[in-house]
Amino acid sequence: MPKNPDSTAAPEATLASPIPSLAEIAGLFAFIGITSFGGGLTAYIRRMVVTKKRWLTDEEFMPGLGLVQLLPGANVVGLSVYIGNHLRGPLGSIVAVTSVITPPFFIVCALGFLYLHAGKTTDTGAILAGVTAAACGLMASMVFEAGQKAINGFFDIFLISMTFALTRLAHLHVPYVILIMAPLAIWWHRPRPDKSGSGKTPGSDLPST
Amino acid sequence: MTKALLQLAALFSTLSLSAFGGGKVILPTMHQAAVGEYDWMTSQQFVDLFSISMAAPGPSMMMVSLVGLKACLPYGTVIALLGALVATIGMFLPSSILVFVAGGFWDRWEESPWRKTIKKAIMPISTGLILAATWIIAKDSIHSVATGIMAMVALGLMLFTKLNPVLMMGAAGVISWGFLK
Repeated sequence: MPKNPDSTAAPEATLASPIPSLAEIAGLFAFIGITSFGGGLTAYIRRMVVTKKRWLTDEEFMPGLGLVQLLPGANVVGLSVYIGNHLRGPLGSIVAVTSVITPPFFIVCALGFLYLHAGKTTDTGAILAGVTAAACGLMASMVFEAGQKAINGFFDIFLISMTFALTRLAHLHVPYVILIMAPLAIWWHRPRPDKSGSGKTPGSDLPST
Repeated sequence: MTKALLQLAALFSTLSLSAFGGGKVILPTMHQAAVGEYDWMTSQQFVDLFSISMAAPGPSMMMVSLVGLKACLPYGTVIALLGALVATIGMFLPSSILVFVAGGFWDRWEESPWRKTIKKAIMPISTGLILAATWIIAKDSIHSVATGIMAMVALGLMLFTKLNPVLMMGAAGVISWGFLK
């Protein structure tokens, strides 16, 4: 829901800045794209858009974060869509997403060309050996971090193991793995009215769409 | 050439809507497709390119662009860039449209108990997929005792300090250049 750009009078304004122009949106998101390295990116975007620029309030930002964490795709990209839409409608979305992806796209392609054309010399080979080992450690740390949030009981460990086995041992593609595992996981974690599990059938309070 | 572009578009637009918990979770299928089924690159190249994408700025999973780049590299530089573009759009467009559309319904969903359910259901699945991804990376990044130790140190640093991962990877590159050359 884009805000009406004409509503200048907002006396209770927690929103200190006026609605930014498309060019301003492009500028900020390109900056976010180039400067976003590694982890903690959602916090970084919040700091830029809510704290620094004050284009959104926390009350507007947080639901967007909740949404993109639930949906597939990179959080940075999803947040760009959400924030762009919030500020300037569909066009704002397109501008924000394009701006956040384009600079990193060219940087990564340039690095890719360098690697693929130069081939492996002893120097690049030695550097890459360190970088890939570090990347492996980084990935492993993500397993721990995700696992910490995921494991609330025995069944979660079972879900993790099953997912791993289907992917690595059965060599199923990820979409199929999700189609198999998601119903199981959702069934297990379904909302339960009480610990007593009184009468209500699970699924009866599914929101109507 | 057209075949490779179509394969890229088909592969990544399907994977786009499967990337629950970020781009990392689709890495196993990317590897399987790029190294096995389509034979675009070797496993070692995949892991090298993945590490390069992790060390570069931008949203997670700019690796997608690199897979497109390598897949189309045999047809020349311009087509390689086109391949990267096709892969990137294929990856980011479907999920972006979903966010855009779902944003309109979100008010009704936000209070639903199913929101928590889905969050709890997604976490173990994405953990399993990231574990599978790490496994693939480990097989082609840990070649020796030295690289094994570096990976362990990197893991420790990421878990117990607030060190920026990109700085960490850069430092690892320099250190390994100094010692392994």
